[in-house]
Amino acid sequence: MVAIFARSTYLQYVALFQWATIRGYVGYKVLLPVTQILFFVQLGVFGSGRSKALYFALGNALQVTAQAGIYGVIATVANERQHGTLPMLLASPANRLVTFLSRAAVNVIDGIVTVVVGLSITVVVFGLDLRHANLLLLAFCVVLISMTTAGLGLLFGALGLITRDAITIANVVYYLLLVLCGINFPISRLPLLLQWVAWATPLSHGVELTRGLVLGTLAIPQAALHIAVLLVYVVAGAALTLPLLRRRLVK
Amino acid sequence: MRLRVVSPFAVLAWLFFPAIFTVVGLYVLSGPGTATPQLAYAILGGGLLGYWDIAYLDGGMSIQNERWSGTLEQIFAVPTPLWVIILGKVCGSLLWGLLSFLPTIAIAYLGFHALLPHVDAARFTISFAILSLSFLAVAVMLTPLFTLWRWALPMLNGFEMGFYILCGFMFPVTLLPTWAQGAGALLAPTWAIRAIYASTTNQGPHDFGIWWGATVGLTVIYVIGALFLYRLIERRARISGGLALA
Amino acid sequence: MSRPFAPAIEVTGLRKTYSNVRGTFRRTKVQHIGLSGIDLAIKPGELFGLLGPNGAGKTTTVKILTTLLLPDSGKAHVLGLDVVSQTSAVRRRIGFVFGGERGLYWRLSGINNLRYFADLYRIPPSVSRPRIAQLIERLGLAGREHDKVEVYSRGMKQRLHLARGLLNDPEVLFLDEPTIGLDPVGARELRLLVRELADAGKTIFLTTHYMFEADAICDRIAVIKNGGIVAEGTPTSIKRSVENKGVIEVEVEAIGPERLAQLRRLPEVTSVSVTERELAQVITLRCGSPSELMPQLGAILEGIQLQKVSSREPTLEDAYIQLIAESP
Repeated sequence: MVAIFARSTYLQYVALFQWATIRGYVGYKVLLPVTQILFFVQLGVFGSGRSKALYFALGNALQVTAQAGIYGVIATVANERQHGTLPMLLASPANRLVTFLSRAAVNVIDGIVTVVVGLSITVVVFGLDLRHANLLLLAFCVVLISMTTAGLGLLFGALGLITRDAITIANVVYYLLLVLCGINFPISRLPLLLQWVAWATPLSHGVELTRGLVLGTLAIPQAALHIAVLLVYVVAGAALTLPLLRRRLVK
Repeated sequence: MRLRVVSPFAVLAWLFFPAIFTVVGLYVLSGPGTATPQLAYAILGGGLLGYWDIAYLDGGMSIQNERWSGTLEQIFAVPTPLWVIILGKVCGSLLWGLLSFLPTIAIAYLGFHALLPHVDAARFTISFAILSLSFLAVAVMLTPLFTLWRWALPMLNGFEMGFYILCGFMFPVTLLPTWAQGAGALLAPTWAIRAIYASTTNQGPHDFGIWWGATVGLTVIYVIGALFLYRLIERRARISGGLALA
Repeated sequence: MSRPFAPAIEVTGLRKTYSNVRGTFRRTKVQHIGLSGIDLAIKPGELFGLLGPNGAGKTTTVKILTTLLLPDSGKAHVLGLDVVSQTSAVRRRIGFVFGGERGLYWRLSGINNLRYFADLYRIPPSVSRPRIAQLIERLGLAGREHDKVEVYSRGMKQRLHLARGLLNDPEVLFLDEPTIGLDPVGARELRLLVRELADAGKTIFLTTHYMFEADAICDRIAVIKNGGIVAEGTPTSIKRSVENKGVIEVEVEAIGPERLAQLRRLPEVTSVSVTERELAQVITLRCGSPSELMPQLGAILEGIQLQKVSSREPTLEDAYIQLIAESP
């Protein structure tokens, strides 16, 4: 099982993803998330001043973990479908959940690496001071959020088996997170209905948790609540995904 | 243009992404203490991004789309030069790109009651026209890269937001470090965007002559470069035989 | 000395090598020979077939002649024009059909595909409009021309490909495996169309690995293997080059040893065998061409009651298989 898991993970990236080359990796896994973070941090500095740079940096760095998590699995399914290998994959005796978990697992690691690279470059470019920040807690939050967004990606991946528009839906969700999850402005500024939607998303809790822990502005009970919500999402994502994976492929 | 309108991704690009950037921009730039001229970047920025994306990515992607549909060889071997075909495709894309301004301005006005404080209509129009020319030239110059070098797609896709930063789509380029301003100065749209935002305010420098001249000058350089690139890629593509590869 | 004809297509010493990269992390460049130096000369109005297994160099040859690929060395002329240096002029006078599922705009209708390519070929609307209507009618797409290509059957797509290839009324038409993937009826219809085009005076360069197709419609063929031409000629001459592939079976009541010896002495006969059946003997003769042997056979077996005679001529497939198997 472990061998299948590992080999499946390696081969699917070589076959389907251009980042198997250095240039592809630099393009999609470095340039794209880093420039996104830098763009929104600069926008935030323009609107709110340099003192707020870390606020925008943390929010956007966490939002790009969603890129790896959501897009990683959904792009896998879409690419498998495009290359015509999806029917072969699904008709094989391999356990579907293991097959897709193998893809999600590397996306978690991918998400963590993306955040580390993105945040590091932003800190250097904007001269941010992280001396008073709790980096260990930051690391913990990043891992947890990566798992959550990978779970969301797994759900979309399974959705990709039954609809061709899953990647379109994933794109919409990814960019909606920019508006809904307190990435660039407090959730409290949204209309009331959207605030409820925002607090239903795992990333909102992740962003609040991370900013609060890193900057030392969050009390322990509130932190525990956010952590609990995130863990529920990890479990629920997997539980919801299984029935979808069992459904037959829609042509 | 018919091929573009039926794609769901096209709808996404035209309407949704610019709207998202507009909403984020309006929230970030309309906080307490932000001066009104800054709002222009939020009101127009999203639309400009959408307009740029269509030209920059869509123009370049049209070659990749031709490759994926297997028609690249067919259009390569016709008497009409490839650059003429691409020019037509990019012009079509730009026309669709103008639609990006519809949702963004509507959201700004209806959702945030945000209006451009002051518009010098003549200068705005000229700046916008020159911006469009620069987008056209950039797209026409970039697309041969996709024909010849397939790795160009991930690199340019990845650097999409880098262009937003360097060209000052949603904030003044004067905020950037000197080295970044220097890089942005080599991009024709940077100067035209400066002119566009300057035409919406009475404050700040109004060196329209310099900005228009720089945009047009760089555009001409891009066009000359593009013609040279098309000759080069035609030869290289015929040597490598990679036109049919998806 | 003047040539009897100016070739429509002339190829001299054409070579092409491809490079590809192996490995993911440790990458090595590998060279692969596409063409190892081929010579061809095709007359105007000829329907010429290039046969060969997959990877032999058929598509490489077509792509060079249609200006999509540059050769490494050698010369190629189409209608007297150099495919390397006179690209635009060549493109205006040729058509090509690569076929298959790709190569058409699926989201456009058939007629819009043709209109678009007519523009790319710079055909004035006054010419393209009636021509498109004519092609749609002739190629059996009438009534379906406004449907999107994505709903077309395989055969319809192939016919649309052919219509696109004929838009500029080319003097030379290149067809790369045009019937691949078609059902027998569709393939036969396409072959008839191709033959009609050749009869109307167009020079047609066809690649295929269906032997019966080449045999049925081509005026001349060449067999290519591993980038080199291993045989060239009419289908009949190539079939004749094959030995031991013709078979004649004669069922008689009985045959004596003298007549058997006479049969064995016939120069075209390579072997004679006799098998016993219940009330008869079956004589099996292997030869080059049964049809040429029949009169002599009839003379030797005169007076013997023949119960059954059957024969099989060597096919182009026999010749092809022998050529491909024997050549290096």
